Amino acid sequence: MLKEVASEIKATMGVYESRDDELYGMLAEFTDPGALHDAARSVREAGYRRFDTHSPFPIHGMDKAMGMGNSKVGYITLAGGLIGLALAWWLQWWTGAVDYPINISGKPFFAIEPSIPIMFELTVLFAATAAVVGMFVMNGLPRYYCPLFNSKRFMRVTDDAFFLHIAASDGRFDPEGTEKFLRELGAVAIEIIHDREDPEQTGG
Amino acid sequence: MSNTIKRSNLFVWLLDPLQPTADRADARYRFAWSPSAWLLPLGIGVAALVISAVGWVTDPEQFYFSYLIGWTFCISLALGGLFFVMIQHLTSARWSVVVRRIPEALIWSFPLLAVLGIPVLFGMHDLYHWTHHELFDPASASYDPVIAGKEAYLNIPFFLGRLAFYFIAWSYISYRLYTLSILQDIEPDPSIPKAQRRVSAWGLAVTAITTSFASFDILMSLDPHWFSTIFGVYFFAGSFMAIMAFIALIAMTLQKAGMLTGVVTTEHYQDLGKFLFGFVVFWAYIAFSQYMLIWYANLPEETIFFRRRLENGWEVSSGILLFGHFVIPFIVLLSRPAKRLLPVLAFMCVWMLVMHWFDFHWIAMPVLHEQATFHLLDFTTWIGLFGVFLGVVIYRLSRHSLVPEHDPRLAESLQFTNT
Repeated sequence: MLKEVASEIKATMGVYESRDDELYGMLAEFTDPGALHDAARSVREAGYRRFDTHSPFPIHGMDKAMGMGNSKVGYITLAGGLIGLALAWWLQWWTGAVDYPINISGKPFFAIEPSIPIMFELTVLFAATAAVVGMFVMNGLPRYYCPLFNSKRFMRVTDDAFFLHIAASDGRFDPEGTEKFLRELGAVAIEIIHDREDPEQTGG
Repeated sequence: MSNTIKRSNLFVWLLDPLQPTADRADARYRFAWSPSAWLLPLGIGVAALVISAVGWVTDPEQFYFSYLIGWTFCISLALGGLFFVMIQHLTSARWSVVVRRIPEALIWSFPLLAVLGIPVLFGMHDLYHWTHHELFDPASASYDPVIAGKEAYLNIPFFLGRLAFYFIAWSYISYRLYTLSILQDIEPDPSIPKAQRRVSAWGLAVTAITTSFASFDILMSLDPHWFSTIFGVYFFAGSFMAIMAFIALIAMTLQKAGMLTGVVTTEHYQDLGKFLFGFVVFWAYIAFSQYMLIWYANLPEETIFFRRRLENGWEVSSGILLFGHFVIPFIVLLSRPAKRLLPVLAFMCVWMLVMHWFDFHWIAMPVLHEQATFHLLDFTTWIGLFGVFLGVVIYRLSRHSLVPEHDPRLAESLQFTNT
């Protein structure tokens, strides 16, 4: 049960677990960004949920095609900002009025006016930090190993190739049906990815 | 200007210096209302000004302050529009081309606003305490050494000269930007974008300095003891915020009547909403910067400004300003859906325009009244001046294409999407 929840959460970050037989998923190559965009939409419409697209540059509209919805990072940022605001308020009050009160030209030990810049700065600092950390967590980063790196072909993803990957852990995944489906979508090359070092695998 | 001919009639020139070109515009950029639609807001405005004229007779001091607030409100919108247009040219902005004609139609308001400023000149003795001669006379009982020390700047001839200079400079820059853009509709000369950028480059510097000093002269000198060097930025922040609300509202109104369909999209409204949100925050940042330094230094001649606005009922106005001009719009406009749901955005635009006027009321009216008050004239002069102002903006929109249709970046603007 707990393992399933963990696997589900990891899947939302794009971290898919391989099956017991070390089958990780299927990698399909497409010729151009447009083909990848359309393929992602068809895969989504066919009911697949655990899949990802890989390209050398961001493809406009891809998040919509994959059915990703709005990013949740905004809410994490808001939470970070509110924590920073509250912390700064407390810091100003505790240091100024409780721990080390000093009378400076008759000003109150704690007042909201001079505290606002600190509250503002810590709000920004915590919100920005939360945004970056939140983005990393939501993407499952940093990630040092991914079975897709076992594919020679996949190396071209930072250069001139466009890939769609369907995880074996997806409920609708079956090696023959999925391969046939991807071929119909116009994949020019399809590869089964295993979660193990495979010196024989040269791609193709 | 071969195809467009200047009007010789001075009255029409005041409203629009160019002959109509709308009949040559692409069908989907044409004004769809009746050509006399502009008479409706103008009529309401003139009616409200006639009512205000009764107040002029019965309570001139109140009238002058109310009128000054309404007049400053219109000036700030026009200046916001001028800043917006110049910044779009200088940054070669793509997203804003489809909505740029609205502020372009707005900026040729300066000559009319100069004419509408004549009542303020009659009211100078009531409005500006520093116009009283006895303050500068050491023999007089009411000699004021602080104000006397500012005589080199605060004297009537220099004040009038400065106002004239501001309006001439703003009118000239507006005239250049307005006519270049309309000319582009008729003759899409490839040198026009460069000319627009050139005018914007020096125009932005001139407008920035004159706006700052105009805010010192028109608003800050109402209380001649008090000074704040950030006041010009404060005025600019509110103006730039207000113009975003104004552009979005005009675009939505035109679209409701079936104009600009598919031209201005949710994506453009979201960008206007982002700017609106950004300048709500910027205004608060500047307002707080002004407040905090005065609070810290605690000098009597500076704190008096806030002291006056934090007692005798004005503290309610200050609270409304804090929450209505910052806290509430900040929370509402923060999320992406609020900027993309047009009813929410429209509501916030109206809200922010009202708060912008409220801001000027909060600055000017405590000078006249120690006790917090709202007078009927505050509203009639505001509606009157804004009605006239809006009427002539619609008049100019109705005479030309609603979009600078030969701007080289129009195609990109039409396809613009937020990522």
